[in-house]
Amino acid sequence: MTALLRVVRAGPLCTVQEQGRFGRLAHGISASGPMDNDAFDLAGALAGADDGAGIEFTRAGLTLRMEAGELSLGWAGGDFAVHLNGLALKWPGCAAMRAGDEIDISPGAWGNYGYLRFGSQLNLPLVLGSRATSTRARIGGLDGRALQAGDQLSFSGPASRKLPKPMPEEPTIGPVRFVWGIHADVFSPEVRQRFVDGQFQVSSMMDRMGVRLIDEGGVFADSGVLSLVSDPILPGDIQILGDGTPIVLMRDHQPTGGYPRIGTVISADFDRFAQIRPGEAVAFAPVSVEHAHRLLRSRSS
Amino acid sequence: MEQSPKTAAHGPLARRQIKPEIAPLGDAALLVRFGKSLDDVANRAALAFAAQLETDAIAGVVEVVPSLVSVLVRYDPAVTDRIRLSGELALRWSGEASWESTRSHRIAVHFDGPDLVEVAMTLGVRPEDFVQMHNDSELRVLATGFAPGFVYCGFHGARLILPRRTTVRPRVPAGSVLFAAGQTAIAATEIPTGWHVIGHTQFRNFDASAEPPTRLQAGDRVIFEAIH
Repeated sequence: MTALLRVVRAGPLCTVQEQGRFGRLAHGISASGPMDNDAFDLAGALAGADDGAGIEFTRAGLTLRMEAGELSLGWAGGDFAVHLNGLALKWPGCAAMRAGDEIDISPGAWGNYGYLRFGSQLNLPLVLGSRATSTRARIGGLDGRALQAGDQLSFSGPASRKLPKPMPEEPTIGPVRFVWGIHADVFSPEVRQRFVDGQFQVSSMMDRMGVRLIDEGGVFADSGVLSLVSDPILPGDIQILGDGTPIVLMRDHQPTGGYPRIGTVISADFDRFAQIRPGEAVAFAPVSVEHAHRLLRSRSS
Repeated sequence: MEQSPKTAAHGPLARRQIKPEIAPLGDAALLVRFGKSLDDVANRAALAFAAQLETDAIAGVVEVVPSLVSVLVRYDPAVTDRIRLSGELALRWSGEASWESTRSHRIAVHFDGPDLVEVAMTLGVRPEDFVQMHNDSELRVLATGFAPGFVYCGFHGARLILPRRTTVRPRVPAGSVLFAAGQTAIAATEIPTGWHVIGHTQFRNFDASAEPPTRLQAGDRVIFEAIH
């Protein structure tokens, strides 16, 4: 039984995502995948999906119309308003859709990224092992591009009957934790201290590749570090551009780079960082690798 | 694309013992660094070490990525930890790089790039002599990974060392052959670059539908040939 969804309206950065395309950095391809993994997983649990692709949308929102068949959907990530045929539903939440139904998602109080997951498998080819869209390499998803009005998505397999899993834990608050980076030593002790003490702002120049920060206190204004030999990059790396602008590299990051990296956001705080909106403040706190691992273990237990 | 070679020396220097630095890159990877600037010794060491890790696997390691002077080792924190993995990595480095790729490639290039004449003039030679000098020596793929299928090849001799352009072109097409810093690079996709564009090739080192998606690997030998 095939289900069909039509994209009625989609923001410019709305993409199909799935667990990333890992193991391809040597080929020049960063893994991609959801900007907020926990939210992606929660939406999947709510839809009754164990794995498979979903849609990542931004504050620009999304409207989809069911054209045929039936489909269970789950949604989560940040705060959004969701309406099914004009009726407001809970966020995060889930529902079943039938032919003729229309779902509309618009931004709420916080967050940059939300997810729609499905109880059936989205029919798209695996590209190098994943359906995740890479906006950098232009592969995966729908021809490596963002969704746009008029696109049709087809699904196969029965709509799932699984029960939704429990609701999410309370979001962590406080500074975004990081591990000191491979080039932390090229910054003076004073600059490192000011980085930890200072407050930054997420700028409007943010996307799946990276988030530029506004350095209001001028922490890096005079750090004057020349570019270095290129080394591999991973998501969460905090690099300082030649003009002193800090930029946190995200899921569609460039695979290598030669700007100094003062630190790397830990895995447990990456999702939370991705949801910080432009104009909002962010501070950074250093932790050890071992502490970061303990945080990961406490989340999975 | 910031690097220029400090030396392209072979011989005794290539057998210099180097001790890598092993540092965390976030909480799920270690970076094994054989140098902090690009030179032949550090590059050969990094590629040899990466090749060794491919044949002598370590529990918990999920990806090994050779780069210009370093090797990224991604691991699963549920299986191993920083201290244990650092120890395993240090044990596997013998102190010298004896590995050589057995693969070699001939790449046909149309030397018709917009910067060719200026590059030749700056180096004080005629364009046809530049092409001859450029193609004279066999190069190695120093690194991959800047963009899909992108490769850095080096090192050219001392007479062919030229800094990058002062301005960056926002995009050059796939197949562009680039020159700077004693190296020749090939773009497999459209990219921005501050390197000199000296020609183009039909060779495409990236095909997302192929497995593996790229044909040139770090360490492979490359010979450029001019076509007219």
